[in-house]
Amino acid sequence: MHRRKFITLSAAIPASLALGASRVAAREAVRMRELYNPDGSFSDYALEMADKPVLLEGFMAPPLKAEWSFFVLTKIPMSVCPFCDNEADWPRDIVSIYARDIITVTPFNVPIEVEGTLKIGTYTDEKLGFVSRVRVVDAAHWRA
Amino acid sequence: MNRVARILLAGVSAASMTVPVVSQDLVQAESSWYTDADAKLQAMIDMQPNTGKAKNVILFVADGQGVGTNYAVRLFAGQLEGKLGEEHVLPYEEYPYTALIKTYNINAQTPDSAPTAGAMNSGIKQVFNTINLNENGRHDNCASEEGNKVTLFSEIASEMGKSVGVVSTARATHATPAAVYAKTANRNWEAAAPEGCTDIAVQAIDAMEAGTVDVLLAGGARNFYPAGTQTVHGGDSSRKDELNLVARAEEAGAQFVSDLAGLEAAAAGSPLLGLFTNSDMSYETERPETEPSVADMTVAAIKAMQGNEDGFYLMVEGGRVDHANHAGNANRAFMDGVAFAKAVAMADEMTNDEDTLIIVTADHEHAIAFNGYCGRGTPITGLCMGINADGVEHTGEPELADDGKPYSVVGYLNGAGSVLTEQADGSYFGTRPNVTQEEALDVDYLQQALIPMGSETHSGEDVASWAKGPWAHLLTGTQEQNYIFHVMNHAVSAE
Repeated sequence: MHRRKFITLSAAIPASLALGASRVAAREAVRMRELYNPDGSFSDYALEMADKPVLLEGFMAPPLKAEWSFFVLTKIPMSVCPFCDNEADWPRDIVSIYARDIITVTPFNVPIEVEGTLKIGTYTDEKLGFVSRVRVVDAAHWRA
Repeated sequence: MNRVARILLAGVSAASMTVPVVSQDLVQAESSWYTDADAKLQAMIDMQPNTGKAKNVILFVADGQGVGTNYAVRLFAGQLEGKLGEEHVLPYEEYPYTALIKTYNINAQTPDSAPTAGAMNSGIKQVFNTINLNENGRHDNCASEEGNKVTLFSEIASEMGKSVGVVSTARATHATPAAVYAKTANRNWEAAAPEGCTDIAVQAIDAMEAGTVDVLLAGGARNFYPAGTQTVHGGDSSRKDELNLVARAEEAGAQFVSDLAGLEAAAAGSPLLGLFTNSDMSYETERPETEPSVADMTVAAIKAMQGNEDGFYLMVEGGRVDHANHAGNANRAFMDGVAFAKAVAMADEMTNDEDTLIIVTADHEHAIAFNGYCGRGTPITGLCMGINADGVEHTGEPELADDGKPYSVVGYLNGAGSVLTEQADGSYFGTRPNVTQEEALDVDYLQQALIPMGSETHSGEDVASWAKGPWAHLLTGTQEQNYIFHVMNHAVSAE
């Protein structure tokens, strides 16, 4: 398992994004691909960390609209918005992020870290109509 | 040549002229480089063109694997086998006849996969984003299909009594497989088309019913199920109508399979329809064990059609080299290239050079390039390592650019790996990240690119073709892509 050492939140992180991040200070960021086994099932790590605080690495897919608290985390940069094209070949290994605040949009190809509580299991967002298998809720994010 | 030598040679038979008489006198003649090349020379001298009639034709297309990408796949494949890589030879690179292929479309310097595949299947260049319409076809214009549809090699082969097979790791309705059987003004009309035109999935099943396609093995199940239903893989249908195309194929006598076990258990013979995923099939890097590889599908297709005494035409596409290149992710592109090469090797083993024309090519290249003066054995997806002046293998020390940072061998001219990223004010600015070898070799690494684009682009650079079997010797030189059809057509028609 590849883990980037996550020592502490640096001064470069805006204070508004760092709120609550002390919960995961001194832990390691985990690549979001570690949540899945090759066959698409949840990994032991995902099962173990369900409903617990996690720190994930990935990329922010372009959100459909600004001033939103939701975005999709991808393991490699993807420029396609999942809502802009219903036919988009959206990969199975994505994570839905429900931020605790309006998100700061990060370009799709800039690595970010996301901290929050991991939720697993299929869930349909009634407002967005978006189906997800893995979510991080009450999340904060920043550039890696 | 001097006059004395010419007089001497004039009295020498052609056979004796083939002996490289002077090699023993050269100080380097004992070098394995020298003797290997000398053996190759003799093999080339001994080679005789095959002017027999082709019973079978197999056209292999590695989507987006032009000369540059193929070079990288060669090294990647060799390094997977523990070699330095540069010396490796992909199975089809041993074929006797090689050509460079010009891939442009009628109206595009940089081609897309639809008209390029159409060119190979129809003998004419076509219009960007259209499939198998003549030069009067207009992209996205349904009315322009009328009167402008062309005759396909699959139809010619069927007329001769041959079976026709289509294999792809992309969707069955994606551009390259579609070009074997479909005619459309828009390659994206995979599951729906404007009134008056027929979508590609329907055309696929029409072709199976008509017997112009006997085997179709690929991804893309979502385009074959009625609207509002789930596919055999549990995903939503993409269709807008009530057509159940899988049921139609089965009613026409087709066996339907949806995983590797089903494919392997399928009875010999055709028709055979296999739709193994909802959309494109998996990258080889993460293909589940239950999903067939491109080699598995190729073997199954040949087995299904081998019983036909009149032979077969099989088109096999490695469809996702292209997709990974678009993502700027060299690792997955090259691994799919390796899987494609295995499929070629399997097909070659199962067929006879005497009666089977095999052509291995690509539809187009990508904006891929190779950086630096790297030492032998530098991992092709990793950082460029220094040349070892006192040995063969690289130094293990990354070469540094003027910014003091290492760089990967592979780079893309544009794409998601761009070092220029969007800033808060909308401008693009950036500096090259300091990449470690561990990061560069990671399967998810995107090689650095220059121009920022969401998806890396194709390029108009030539692709290669490698050929063996009846009339393969016609496929040499620098040729237009549509010429490939003419070689296939001549090979099956020759008396």
